[in-house]
Order: sequence, then structure tokens, then C-alpha cells
Amino acid sequence: MGKYEIQTSKAKCTGCLRCQLACSELYTKVFNPSQARIRVVTSGADCSIRFEEDCNDCGICVDHCFFDALTKTKRESDK
Amino acid sequence: MSVGGFADRVLHVDLTDGRIDKHPLDLDLAQRFIGGLGLTIKLAYDTILPGTDPLSPENPIVLGAGPLVGTNLPSTSRLYAVTKLPTSGTIGWCGSGGVNFGYLFKNAGYDHLIIKGRADRPVYLKIIDDEVEICDAAHLWGKGAEETSEALWMELGHPTGVMTMGQAGENLVPFSIAFIDRIATLGRGGLGAIMGAKNLKAIVVKGTRGIKVADRKRYKGLSEDFLQTIRSYPYLKEWQDLGLVKSFPMIPKETYYGMKKRRIACVSCPIGCKDVIEIPDGDFKGLVKCTSSVLNLYTPVLYGFKDHRESIRCMATIDQYGLDAFEFFGLMSFAKALADHGIIPPEQLDEEIATDSLASMEGWARKITYREGLGDILARGFKGILEEFGKEAETYAPPLVKGMQPYVGPGAALSWDLFGTMELGQVLDPRGPHVGASGSPTYFDRRPLEVFPRHLTRMGVPEEAFERILPGLNSPDQEEELRVGRLLKYSHAWFSILGSLGICARGAINRFYNASLCAQFYEAVTGIEMDVDQLRRRADRLWTLLRMANIREGLDQKAEALPHKWFSKPGFKRYTTEEPLGLQEGEEMIEDYYDEWGWERKTGIPSPQLLEKLGLKEN
Ligand code: SF4
Ligand code: SF4
Ligand code: SF4
Repeated sequence: MGKYEIQTSKAKCTGCLRCQLACSELYTKVFNPSQARIRVVTSGADCSIRFEEDCNDCGICVDHCFFDALTKTKRESDK
Repeated sequence: MSVGGFADRVLHVDLTDGRIDKHPLDLDLAQRFIGGLGLTIKLAYDTILPGTDPLSPENPIVLGAGPLVGTNLPSTSRLYAVTKLPTSGTIGWCGSGGVNFGYLFKNAGYDHLIIKGRADRPVYLKIIDDEVEICDAAHLWGKGAEETSEALWMELGHPTGVMTMGQAGENLVPFSIAFIDRIATLGRGGLGAIMGAKNLKAIVVKGTRGIKVADRKRYKGLSEDFLQTIRSYPYLKEWQDLGLVKSFPMIPKETYYGMKKRRIACVSCPIGCKDVIEIPDGDFKGLVKCTSSVLNLYTPVLYGFKDHRESIRCMATIDQYGLDAFEFFGLMSFAKALADHGIIPPEQLDEEIATDSLASMEGWARKITYREGLGDILARGFKGILEEFGKEAETYAPPLVKGMQPYVGPGAALSWDLFGTMELGQVLDPRGPHVGASGSPTYFDRRPLEVFPRHLTRMGVPEEAFERILPGLNSPDQEEELRVGRLLKYSHAWFSILGSLGICARGAINRFYNASLCAQFYEAVTGIEMDVDQLRRRADRLWTLLRMANIREGLDQKAEALPHKWFSKPGFKRYTTEEPLGLQEGEEMIEDYYDEWGWERKTGIPSPQLLEKLGLKEN
């Protein structure tokens, strides 16, 4: 279990994929959204945000979201 | 350090014989033209045979995405197309925010795509990383732009970048456009018809290869600081929330909030200017519309629609067909005037033309799209109507530039009257009356001239040019002046730099960038040495080559004459003093513009010395 608990707000998501860009670069050293551990799909009014199994809740994607669609809180055990 | 940013390949597709080739990117050439827009212009210059008919198989569509596309630098998804456009008959740039298409195209492993020929049946081009296939599009032909995008997403899932056109493109209406990922428009001036002429319904792309950065450490330092600057911008939230609605009182905020479902941002963009709205009540309750800006949905309101819900419904129809709404409404107003004065004879009018009526406008959009009756004549655009109805019709025509209706000006739907770079740019952009490449501080009304130098530096204007753009700024005994023509050169150069890197040119984001930062980002991402001077030189090279491409097509200064109708009352006003602007003064601005590029002052032809200096002699 990672440092953070991550909350999502689909209504605020714009599909900018800044989260996927950041996650993939951090773990693969290449900007490759197809390798990200978070997956966002927006299509018209619909949106889905999900995390892959290998997401370690490091919270970096949250730092790159400019739209408050991702937020994080420190886990109790870590405080 | 290896080269980063670029995907390193150019994809060639010939729809006539079905040949598909992947060539390595010529890095020397990429460096000379920066990449993105610049290299797209160069590839188009080398591919377009002079005198080509825009709707012939020989006219290529050249696409390109710059070296920053695919990174997480803010708003770097920009996609460009260069081709010979049927409305203006010129070789022009078409640009789009890029949405998902831009990064997916780069991730599939391509910087550019050159499409030639004509398929013998409706097809779409499918690019999935290395697999490139020309697929049958019989099931898509006849569908609207949005319907086609949805059908392709059903087939291929998300994420898939989709570029498509509607039935107007299929039927070769010269003012048909293409759509990127259903929400962004590409190619006012007829890209839809060019695709139609190729029997090419769509291009779809999926990519998983990734984009690497040459100097990660430097990149990290630079981008973190930059992101911080954007985060701390006091109006960021307001921009994200309202965007341009902020400055257009035509759309009451409560109405906007009442129908806003979501904002959409192109990949990597921290602003997000695109809208998804849903009509909350009335006859069209539940209609969901994606648009590059909610402002576009109000185009019919500018032409007399009373109910914004009807306006949105009308735009949904026009966008499905893939018509350029702005040109469509301009044309319909013109046709109405001709009908009112009996120039279009009543027997040709199978339906009333009422620019404030949903039923009438939807009806005419359909007739134009399917080229039925009078619709077939209207479908040929302003040029076609003037040919058909002769001299008499001219009196009622709006001011025209390269056969199209300008966005801005006396008699136009947007009646901004101060004559800044965007207004002048409408005659000097090779593609026709567009404002996107001509931004500058004159975007805002009556800015004091003291603030200009700061913006000029940001746009990469060399200091030695300040005195020419702003004579008298530093001499107390001389009256301050603004030379709009000279400034416009640097608007186009700055646009060229942003576009070639792959950065969105919209004011909301480009305000954060400056030329020096662009050079540093280019170096960090690609590993290729770059400074502001070199960027400037490359911008001069690529925009001058676009000029040469058009001169080769026979474009001359006459095609860039100011419409006389702009100068009959009430006309444009001077930016600085708000006094009426005279025709002669406008003409001097055009000469200044040519001169500032180093093109011949009267004719706008680049001199052999300049071509030599820019290394364009061999072209
Ligand atoms: S929390 Fe970390 S690992 Fe998980 S998706 Fe975000 S950046 Fe990737
Ligand atoms: S960064 Fe935020 S807004 Fe952008 S796609 Fe990810 S969750 Fe959505
Ligand atoms: S400002 Fe608009 S067009 Fe530009 S990148 Fe952002 S969302 Fe796309």
C-alpha cells in the first residue's frame, strides 16, 4: 500500500492525460500513456478513471492534474 | 545524447495504388525547419506540383506534429495539415489543438503523413503503430462527422485518434471542414472536400511506442518551473472554468453553467478550452454537443437566432454535415439579400431563406450538402454565386478575401473595429481570411504602447526591430506610433515557432511561453542545439517558403488587396487613435509587412538574396 489514498472526480476530468503522461514517464522514462498505471477515457459527456493493478499510490499523477479531478490524502499509517 | 522528441518516421500513403511506405525522418531537414508546422510546409512544398487542382488526386494532404507533441509540456498536442485549399486556391496551413489524435499519431511512430492519390472506393486509413492499412469505408460513407467518429470508436475502442469529415466533404463542398476526435475542427477552406475527393472518409490512429526526451534532467528542471508559473497564474481557474465565455457577454454565465457537462482539454493542456454541453430543457432537451468552444454554438445567434437552444441544434446539424458554419451563415445572408432583391429568381427558391430560422437553415444546410437545386449553386461558395448571378450580385456580397468571408470587420459577424494584427492578418495569411496566426498584443483593445516591448520580447522579436514597429516610443519629441504591418510579421513568425514545436497557439496558453523558453525546451527535448536567433531564422525560412509555394501557384499582391468595402463607412479604425483608417494607410501596412520579412516591398516577392540567406535557393 502506497503513501496516498487517491480520490477521483470524473465530473472535473477533461481527459488531458497529464496524469498518464506523468505516471508513464516516472516509471518507464518515456512519455507513453499506454504504459501508465492510471487510465482515463473521456468521450463526450462520459468519463472513466481507473487504476491498474501495479499502481502503488505514489500520488505523482495527482500533482500533474490541473483540474482537481484527482486529489490525494495521506494514509493514516503514514502520518 | 540521442535525439528525442521526434518519432523519426514519415508515413507515405498513395491511395491510388495502395502503396504504403515508411521513410526515416530526414533529421537535417527537420532541424532546418524545426519540425511540426515548418517541416509540414517543407514536405508540402516538395510534394505539391505547381498548378495542381485542389480536388485532384495529385493534391497531397501533408500532416505533421512537432517534436514536443507527446511530451507533457503544456498544450503540446498541436496537429497541422498543409495542402492546396479549394476555397482560396492557395496553399495554406490548417491547424487543430490535436485533442488525442496528435499524441497518438506521434506514439504510433510518425512525425508526418503524406497522403496522395484517390482511392477507387470509400476508404479509411487505419494506423496502429507499425500496422498501416487502407480499409473499406462503405459502412461509413454517407454518415455525419460525429456519427463516423462514434462508429470508429465502437470498432476500435478508446483511445483512438479520429480525423474525419461529414457528407459535405463527400460531396466536395469547398467550404467543408474536417474534425479531430469529433470536437476540434481542422481545415476551414476545404480540407473536408479534399478528403472527399480522395474517397478518404477518415484517418484513425492508435500508438503505444512512447516519446522520449533527450535530456531528462534539464527537461525536468525547466518544466517544473514552468508548470509552477501556470499553477500560480491568478486567472487560471477562471480560464479553466469559463474560457472565452468570460469575454463574450452574448452567453450569460448562468446559461453556460446550466448546460455545461464537461470541459475537454487536448492531451497535456492545463487549460482546456473545449466544451461538452447538454441542452437542459425545451424541444431539444438532452441533446449533447461537443464543440471546440461553446462560442461556436452561438454562430447562428450572431445571424439572428433568438433561442440559443435552436442555435445549438442548428450547429449540431451543420457540424454533422461538416460544413464551415461561419462560411455557411455568411453565404446564406448573402443569398437572402440576393433573393430579397430578385437577383435569385423566385422560381429558383424552393424554400424561403431565413437566417433566423432553424427549419430554414437546417433545410439549406441539407440542400447545400447534398447539392440539391439552388443548394448546388450555393455549395460553390461566394465565388460560385458571383459567377452564377453576375455583376449585380456583387453589391450585396460581404467584403471578401481570397473568395471567403473574413471573420472580423465592418459588415462581418464579429464587428471588432480596431485594426490590429488579426484584422490585417486576414488578408495576409496565405490560407485566406483567418485570424489564428496573427495574434499579438493588439488582440486587446487600446493597450498602451509602453506594454508592447515586453510582449515583443516574449514573441522573439529582435530588439533592433522595436524602433520600426513602435517609432517614437523612446523619443519624447516624436509622436508614438504602432506599425501594424511590421508587427504582423512577428505574429506570423511567433506562430511559426509555436506551431513547429507543437505548441497550441491559443492566447490562453501561448501567453505563458516565450521564445527563449521555446528554444530551451526544444534543446532539452530533442537534444538539438537551439537558441532564439536560430529559431527566428528558421521561422523566417519556413514562412518565406510558404510564401514561395504560393507565388509558385500564381499568388500576387493583388490577391492580398484590402477589400474596398472595409473602407466604406463605417469602416475600420486605427488601433492607437480610433480615427478612421484609410485605404492607403492599410496598403502601406501591407508593404511594411512584406518589407519586414525582407520581401520586395511592392510585390511581396522574396528577393534572390533573401532566399540565398535563408538557404532556400535550391527550392
Ligand atoms: S499513483 Fe503513482 S503509480 Fe499510481 S497511477 Fe498515479 S503516478 Fe502512477
Ligand atoms: S490529469 Fe486530471 S483532468 Fe487530466 S485526464 Fe488525468 S484525471 Fe483527468
Ligand atoms: S488551449 Fe484549447 S486548443 Fe489549445 S491545447 Fe488547450 S484545449 Fe487544445
